[in-house]
Amino acid sequence: MKNPYLPMPMRIERIGVETSDGNIKTFTLSFIRDEDRQAFRFIPGQFAEVGVFGKGEAPFGIASSPLETERVAFTVNKVPGGVVTTALHAARVGDIVGMRGPLGNGFPVRAMEGHDVVIIGGGFAFTILRSLVAYLIHPSNRECYGRIQVVYGAREPGLLLYKDELAAWQKRQDLELTLTVDRCTAADEWTGCVGVVPRIVEEIKPEAAKAFAVICGPPVMIRFTLPVLEKLGFAPERVLLSLEMRMKCGIGMCGRCNIGHKYVCKDGPVFTLAELSELPAEY
Amino acid sequence: MDKQEVLRATVRKLLQNGQVSLVIGYANGTLPLRTAPVFIRTAEEADLLVWNSLCEYNLANYLPRYANDRIAIVVKGCDARALVGLLQENQVQRDRVYVIGVSCEGVVDRRQVAALVGGREVTAVEESPENIVVRGRGFEKLIPKKEAMFPSCRVCRYGNPVLADITIGDSVAAGEDAFDDIAAFENLPAPEREAYFVREMNKCIRCYACRNACPMCYCKQCFVDASMPQWLSRWVGTADNLFFHLGRALHLAGRCVDCGACARACPVGVDLMKLNRKLIKDARELFGYEAGLDPEGRPLLGTFNPDDPGPFTIRG
Amino acid sequence: MIINKSDIAAFLDSFRDEYRVFAPAVADGVSGYRILTAGSELTWQGLNTQRPPKEVLFPQSERLYSYEIGANGVQISAHYDDRKKVVFGIRPCDARSFHYLDYVFLGQEYQDVYYRKRRENTLLIGMACLEPAKTCFCTSLGGGPFATDGLDLLWVDLGDRYLVQVLTPQGKALVASKPFFSPASEADYRAAAAAEARARAQMLPALDLSRVKPWLDAGFNAPFWERVSEKCIGCAVCTYLCPTCHCFDLSDEAATDRFLAGVRIRTWDTCAFPLFTLHASGHNPRPTGKERFRQRVMHKFCYFVQNWGEAACVGCGRCVVNCPVNLDIREVLAQIAVQDAGAGMGQ
Repeated sequence: MKNPYLPMPMRIERIGVETSDGNIKTFTLSFIRDEDRQAFRFIPGQFAEVGVFGKGEAPFGIASSPLETERVAFTVNKVPGGVVTTALHAARVGDIVGMRGPLGNGFPVRAMEGHDVVIIGGGFAFTILRSLVAYLIHPSNRECYGRIQVVYGAREPGLLLYKDELAAWQKRQDLELTLTVDRCTAADEWTGCVGVVPRIVEEIKPEAAKAFAVICGPPVMIRFTLPVLEKLGFAPERVLLSLEMRMKCGIGMCGRCNIGHKYVCKDGPVFTLAELSELPAEY
Repeated sequence: MDKQEVLRATVRKLLQNGQVSLVIGYANGTLPLRTAPVFIRTAEEADLLVWNSLCEYNLANYLPRYANDRIAIVVKGCDARALVGLLQENQVQRDRVYVIGVSCEGVVDRRQVAALVGGREVTAVEESPENIVVRGRGFEKLIPKKEAMFPSCRVCRYGNPVLADITIGDSVAAGEDAFDDIAAFENLPAPEREAYFVREMNKCIRCYACRNACPMCYCKQCFVDASMPQWLSRWVGTADNLFFHLGRALHLAGRCVDCGACARACPVGVDLMKLNRKLIKDARELFGYEAGLDPEGRPLLGTFNPDDPGPFTIRG
Repeated sequence: MIINKSDIAAFLDSFRDEYRVFAPAVADGVSGYRILTAGSELTWQGLNTQRPPKEVLFPQSERLYSYEIGANGVQISAHYDDRKKVVFGIRPCDARSFHYLDYVFLGQEYQDVYYRKRRENTLLIGMACLEPAKTCFCTSLGGGPFATDGLDLLWVDLGDRYLVQVLTPQGKALVASKPFFSPASEADYRAAAAAEARARAQMLPALDLSRVKPWLDAGFNAPFWERVSEKCIGCAVCTYLCPTCHCFDLSDEAATDRFLAGVRIRTWDTCAFPLFTLHASGHNPRPTGKERFRQRVMHKFCYFVQNWGEAACVGCGRCVVNCPVNLDIREVLAQIAVQDAGAGMGQ
């Protein structure tokens, strides 16, 4: 019987610094055990509990594409006073960490087939959206989906994640990517938009008729983006959010991540707006 | 004088003339031998207030939560000292609190009562000035209050609140406290003292009722919850339990007023006052200091005097 | 069946080689379900234990696995406990509590292997409650002083002997395997029935909780929550002593003498502590005692019902007896039961 508390041993293969302030790094992990590598399959939006032995575990959304089967990537923001994120940021290539996953429900990529997809991300929360975009635009999946529009914003240009990937996506014909920052200076040589994400979404006016909207970002961004989507006619059943909660077990037993009767670790972290409106606003 | 009636009348007036918006006091509990803290906001509710030997809580514990309101609070002698401590440490503003002092002859210790009736369930209690009568299935027992008094109350010297806007009740005589209980324990050989603390620490379930019941424990983040660095393990066992209790006792050094609320809150009866009273004794003997007496004063460990005893210092 | 009280010590001793026997006992001044090393140690005479029996299956502190980092990876060894156990003298309310823990630990997509191994290797021998306390309210939650849910055997004290009711195949096998049992008589059954009637008559009337779930469904934002828990000091007494509370924390402990080895441990946790839901960003969805107390009531009497069909409470009364400030859940439930549906609620 599988013991869901035992981590898979993983080796840190690559560490990339994402942001100009150095506080966000992407860790690419490889599997030490063959059977783990063969068995590990996930969908975008799922997460894993990544652990530094002796320090503890924390939940991180999987940032790599599900079609990349040899490695798994997580983007980690170093939090002041955060034991695990500090330990991860101090780790080096070759170090061994633990991983439990995939956990959570992920995005309903099957239900989304045949629809347009509008992806709206803010700041550090873009990690699982990267996984989602990579999944949707992969040659084996792209024709299942309609128009794909992505709006991604950060406070300033240096804080955008995955800059190389964003540059590659901008060149694609099958994906409409709009990047925006809250503010920039001349030194940034920024050529994208300047303006908060909700306003950019309003300007772009994505069509709601056959579309899913996926939003991940800081609470303030979500709060101001939802009314924009409502005005555009997006049905609450087709607006998807990924929530965060303090998590430990990741499997619905330790009790701490609930919103009402749902557990963010296993009934989420992806919820539709319709589902959330049935739950107490305690998040 | 019927202290309870005077108390109710006092509170009724305070609420009627709008002097305060909230009164914190004691009401009847749902179990015999229990009162419960009560939060009163209308004059009619004043009739919920009670005063008896079961008023075991230190209500000053709730004060920091209401720092922005004008409130009144019922305090026993020890509770008033805690209030003074909170004033010294700027956790409470004097002009926001109306202090209703009640002279106190001691709190009955539920644990001792339970022992005196062999652990049988008590289903009714009656109180008279000198005694309580407890009843249960097939038994009735008269217990002189002196026999079931909380130990710190037996030697209490501050039954009359040191700070109050009104004091209800006649002055009570001061006891004498030579810390005989602590001296006797200190004289035991080390292995016996160790065995005693091991037993006490094995009882502890790390519920933190003691810390949460204590008015002087008001830190937003307690040291037990610090993660960088992490001071103690979450493991509930002798060593980490001891670390918690020693840490808390030391954080209370020079601040603990010997009210015993922690020991009474403890569900398993850990002998917390052994540690706390040892430090109270040290504060008195080493520094001549007693906590919670002077609202204008400074906390003990917040001051330094070149004459302070310190065998570890070398004077030039 | 019948077993004489004079045979009890020998009966308990007969488990010695195969089973660890847990029974109500006092250790270091605190009562709980403790391991008996000899049948003669059984001296329990009282009301229910203070510590709950959940710790037989779900200890307060538990090592989940050890790890050791080496040149080529990490060695992980899980620590399981599948030794056979008998819990003797467990009260009907406590026996029912395992049923609720089963939902959480065994009833979901993932199984809690640690709990499962203990659970499948544990027999429950129950003791009917002849003299329920005034704080017992099992009958308000579908239980009773002589209830049999979850037990392998139920024993009823008839003075110099016990009537033994066999409830499961495991219970039957147990009775068949020991020489201490003889058939009961009609008089024995009548005496037990009379004892049950007396026990029930002694209890306070059951609470009518029919309005509680419907009100809680709609009452998340009701002003009721502002005041009801004002005296709560936010300790863990009610949750730790509760037989059905199951929340826990996971943490790592590096070894004291080595850097590259250590253990992952699980320890009881409580929704009463602010740290329980504190985000790394500093945001806390339950910032004050009001939200945390509401969570406790909601979880036990609303969310658990939504997920599993029953309230996660067995009416054992431990929280009532042990709360440092006499916050009585029965009083809270009674207040909820008379709240106006829909009065004063809203965002």
